[in-house]
Amino acid sequence: MDSKTTEKKKQNVGLYGFTGCNGDQLVIVHSEDQLLDFFGSANIKSFSLAKSDNDETELDIAVIEGSISNEEQAEHVKHIRKRSKLLVAIGNCACFGGIQAMDVKPSWETRFKRVYAENKLELRKPTPSKPVGEIVKVDFCVPGCPIDADQFFFVFGQLLLGNQPVLPDYPVCAECRWRENECLLLKGIFCVGPLTAAGCGAVCPYHNLPCLGCWGPVAEGNVDSHVQLLKEKGFTVEAIRRRLGMHTGTGISESLKKLLGA
Amino acid sequence: MRELLIEPLARVEGEGGITVRIEGNTVKQVDFNILEGTRLVETLVVGKTPEEDVSIACRICAICTLSHRYAALRGLEKALGIQIPAKAHAMRSLMHTGEFLESNSLHVFLLALPDFLGYPSAVAMLDKHADDVVKGLALKKFGNKLMRLTSGRMIHGENPTIGGFGKYPDKQDLLDIQQEAKDLMTAAERAVQLVAGLDIPSYFEKETVFMCCDPGNSEFGIAGDRIAISDGKTVPVEEYRTLTNEVFSPHSAAKHCLYQGKPYTVGAIARMNNLGERLKGKSLRLFEKHWNKRWLKNPVYNNLAQAIELVWALEQVPAIVDSIFDHPEDPALVKPAKTEGEGVGAVEAPRGTLYHHYKIKDGLVAEANLIIPTGQSLEDIEKYMRIAVEELVKQNADDGTIRMQCEIIARAYDPCISCSTHMVNIERV
Repeated sequence: MDSKTTEKKKQNVGLYGFTGCNGDQLVIVHSEDQLLDFFGSANIKSFSLAKSDNDETELDIAVIEGSISNEEQAEHVKHIRKRSKLLVAIGNCACFGGIQAMDVKPSWETRFKRVYAENKLELRKPTPSKPVGEIVKVDFCVPGCPIDADQFFFVFGQLLLGNQPVLPDYPVCAECRWRENECLLLKGIFCVGPLTAAGCGAVCPYHNLPCLGCWGPVAEGNVDSHVQLLKEKGFTVEAIRRRLGMHTGTGISESLKKLLGA
Repeated sequence: MRELLIEPLARVEGEGGITVRIEGNTVKQVDFNILEGTRLVETLVVGKTPEEDVSIACRICAICTLSHRYAALRGLEKALGIQIPAKAHAMRSLMHTGEFLESNSLHVFLLALPDFLGYPSAVAMLDKHADDVVKGLALKKFGNKLMRLTSGRMIHGENPTIGGFGKYPDKQDLLDIQQEAKDLMTAAERAVQLVAGLDIPSYFEKETVFMCCDPGNSEFGIAGDRIAISDGKTVPVEEYRTLTNEVFSPHSAAKHCLYQGKPYTVGAIARMNNLGERLKGKSLRLFEKHWNKRWLKNPVYNNLAQAIELVWALEQVPAIVDSIFDHPEDPALVKPAKTEGEGVGAVEAPRGTLYHHYKIKDGLVAEANLIIPTGQSLEDIEKYMRIAVEELVKQNADDGTIRMQCEIIARAYDPCISCSTHMVNIERV
């Protein structure tokens, strides 16, 4: 096959970072063994963390990291949506709003004033952080804080091929059992595992530490029953609210409010 | 009016830009804009347990996740009266050294080098510089491996926690990295040779102040309880507020820091300028070969300082692993001695000194103040860009030249923009 026909078949891809730690894009940059193949597999039109010759054009796949935290970002992500066939959210900030969307008191406005006092930021109009899906339609979510490289490259490869990728729809407890870890809940340790999507390989319990829920909420997790279990184990409502809300952003915040009060 | 807007600034961590305004021959404005969305992290950790704080605070930044975690642990453990055992201390040095290998090699090879060689990215350099790109990736991969081995994951690993580590690595894994560190030395030496060969213009040079952690015992290092300043003073980290007065700037979501009303620089160049003579072995020989008085005036030498640190970091690994082997038993997590207290933890992140200051009440975080490296260097970044632009305008330079020089200066600082938006408590100075 001559290089021109190969070139024609390549799809246009753009990667964008909004508000967050850049960890999801960095997982890609840090995949030393796949990085060059990744750049070769598509026309990487935009990826400003890794290159400076970025071309904001029509895309087959847009990959978005980070939450939307100011008006300019909202406009930008709408513009990306308009010129992209598929939009993939990567990481917990894009999928659920991330830690900055944590439901805490006092209000965002009060906390913003605490940090910046009455000073005005001239170049951006800050807003409370929202997941990308609250601003534009998201076609696929790759959760994790940060994402797992293998999981991302699997999803990306499937989407390039036109397939619909399938990610685990079961809690991380399954992976925890496969690794033959002892159940920390049975030892009376606060663990968010039963509400958390699989994908990390139960890395924290493997290190004798409880799951903190950083992979985001598992689809159809039974929040009610886990809250009940934690109460039975003697944990306070405050501790339950704090820990279950820490890495889940807007994912289960409504259920928690219903179960534990505002 | 001539206006140059660089937005977004590529090949840096986070969302930033540069604005330059020139009227006739007069430079009206040179701003380094911090455009990153605000996250208000210090307000998120209030009311959390120390363990929860560590899990939130490290997520300020992915490149320096372990520096944030380490600074938080140092501050919180002081507040809680915890002394970690020697084995845990050695493990923390190993994880921190791993992060320096990861971050410095990422910056030197993938973020900074393409400018000097005339490419948009390291991937585009492959055709003509494949061997060097591969060496850079190998160093970065090794740094990531150390981070994964010690923290449990490449990014945001939770294994380093209050009182020690959840789990210690296997002996064979540690033996492997000991060997690998020795094998990679030629790659790090090549990095120094490569960066030392780049042409660094001198027309924007000017004296400044440098600050870094002083590890004590006349050693070179990347964590400590005192701050060494290039004016000869050393100050306990508890007095950090006297060094880092924050001022608000409307074009920046991060606050700028000043020392005695003047801008200062942190990062690898500050460590080399203040502590370089304390290096040993190969890194000392390279420092003596390459250091000169221009380093005191020209921030672009930060790239070479980072490359020398790659050699230093690889030299550390075998000795740190040996000190882990000195303690065959895995110690349990040390429990807090108290539920109230205050502590300041400082470490060097790859891009400069990072402070985490906590007050604990009833076992929960009552107050947090974080001072981030890039916030400290912001005034100097703008200062050097302004001098460069003024000089280039005199020479009738075109827009492309001005843009590139500003980008090279800003990028040399290895700015971490996600980090720099998290400062609280504006100090009125």
